[in-house]
Amino acid sequence: MGEPISRRSFLKAAVMAPLLPSLLAACKRADDRKVVNFFNWSNYIGKDTLPGFSKRTGVEVRYDLFADEDEMFAKLRAGAKGYDLVVIGDYLIPRFRALNLSEPIPPGALKNLNNISARFRRPVYDPDEGSVPYMWGTTGIAYNKKKLKKPPTSWWDLWDPKYKDRVSMLDNVRDSIGVALLMLGIPPTTRDPEDFRKVREHLVKQKPLVKQYSSASYLNSLVSGEIDLAMTWSGDLFQTARENPDLDYVIPKEGTHLWVDCLTLLRGSRHREDTLRLIDYLLEPDVAAANANSVRYASPNEKALKFVDPILLKDPRVYPKGAMMKNLRLNAVLDPEQSELWNQTWADVKVA
Amino acid sequence: MDRALSWLLGGRRALASHLLLAPASLWLIFLLVIPAGGLILLSFAKNGPYGAIVWEFGLQNYARAFDPKYLPVLIRTIMFAGATTVLCLILGYPVAYFLTFRAGRWRNALLVGLMVPFWSSCLVAYYSWMIVLGKEGLLNTALIRFGFLSEPIGFLYTPFAILLGLVYFYLPFTVLPLYASLDKVPRSVIEAAYDLGAGRWTAFWKVTLPLSTPGVVAGCILTFIPCLGDFLTVEILGGPRYYLLGNLISNQFMMAQDWPFGSALTSLLLAGLVGGLWLYQRWEKA
Repeated sequence: MGEPISRRSFLKAAVMAPLLPSLLAACKRADDRKVVNFFNWSNYIGKDTLPGFSKRTGVEVRYDLFADEDEMFAKLRAGAKGYDLVVIGDYLIPRFRALNLSEPIPPGALKNLNNISARFRRPVYDPDEGSVPYMWGTTGIAYNKKKLKKPPTSWWDLWDPKYKDRVSMLDNVRDSIGVALLMLGIPPTTRDPEDFRKVREHLVKQKPLVKQYSSASYLNSLVSGEIDLAMTWSGDLFQTARENPDLDYVIPKEGTHLWVDCLTLLRGSRHREDTLRLIDYLLEPDVAAANANSVRYASPNEKALKFVDPILLKDPRVYPKGAMMKNLRLNAVLDPEQSELWNQTWADVKVA
Repeated sequence: MDRALSWLLGGRRALASHLLLAPASLWLIFLLVIPAGGLILLSFAKNGPYGAIVWEFGLQNYARAFDPKYLPVLIRTIMFAGATTVLCLILGYPVAYFLTFRAGRWRNALLVGLMVPFWSSCLVAYYSWMIVLGKEGLLNTALIRFGFLSEPIGFLYTPFAILLGLVYFYLPFTVLPLYASLDKVPRSVIEAAYDLGAGRWTAFWKVTLPLSTPGVVAGCILTFIPCLGDFLTVEILGGPRYYLLGNLISNQFMMAQDWPFGSALTSLLLAGLVGGLWLYQRWEKA
């Protein structure tokens, strides 16, 4: 049998043909499209915030959501590429730096940074301001007014046996261990294994009362009456309570931590200029205020406060006042060793 | 196909058959062998500051895995997986039997129906179960409406909900192999049993059931093994006191940020499964 087509030339053509379109496409680099890839918590931005930016600048914002901070962290650690901007909790900032996941925003790159209130400038967790505060809030207790005879006032109410099977706790190391340390009066910077044994015992003692360890689905459980008390993040409950007026929020009398979520530039971002423009836009007073009014967390933006809904601004559950504000403390910055102790303690509670 | 390939390769037949196997082999190498190898390698590494991976090799992760505090989790997992397998078998065998011998012209339609739950992700299925089982859900509403209950029962986040979710999801994995092996039982053998005077039950116990054992075994293995690693069911339908091995592993990767330890646990689970299957095969051959 002869070879009507030379085998070699056929092979060459067969290999090259499918490559051609992709070679052509590669010449038009994806970079000249104006895009910012933004990775944020679900329900954590106003409806008109991003469209407003795109309308003004022509930059498209591709918005991706997470419902679980650990999942987001694991995803970025595992090397998820393509995100330019992410919102992370204060305590994650040193970790992102240490693991080389974030890129500090250079000083002077943002013209609206001075809108941030002095209280949130040069914070302990990020002294050189490599990231920008986005919203702040508190961790407290959500409860159903109709189902409880007496509103909770203390963290110890979540440990009260009369609420067995009606309680949910945040499935989050920072909040669970942080609150347990606070309740036991142990300083959060401890590295004494004995302290962590006490914390573990304290949380394990509560376990038979707990229906759910959850950071998102517990909100549905509150609405559907599956549970009546929950450790929660302030704004998440306010958003849920908009349609369920029986739900209320209280900052326990022992105090709690004030946490700050921050806009963080990711290493390897290919759209730095536009990402910085987006951050600057989010810092504009009217934009920041509309955003905060929608998500019902407190804004760290001093200049924005005059545009914030007066009802929210006067609400001590959103913007705690006086003595209550003094009872709030920023999360302690943990070194790797302490951080490991916190993680291990929470992991042991889950196993117990 | 083989001929066309050997033309392309200039008449090298052996190479042609290797090429035909290539897609499957590459799939296995890239998606199974290499990731599993990486996982095993990672299981000997050290967990560094803030969960960074430090490539200093040692057995510390394996030593930690044998801490007795994990024993209850292992026992609980085996019990849930075992109960699921038994329930799937009890529920699945009559279904497979019906499909094979009684369904007639409906058989194909019913087989497709069995697969319908797989058209959506099990996440969606579990969220639907939450709607059914909730305190204000369909089940409670119906039970109260018809006067069986006065107060709603919290079905969610209980062992009942976990078992329901597991059985719901894994039932087709039991039914399909059972169906395949029942279908292969020659009708003539069963008829012979009748001819020789066996009643329905005797024919079933002495002929049909023993001939379908390979399906029973395959169905059990296909249910039991994935159940051992399941974490989603407990995450969504289960409460904090029913933490399984899959949850323990997923927690190392997500929450505790201890990938080397998570890998060690996974490698142990993998070794246990491979060892178990190997022992089973040897026992079967003997």
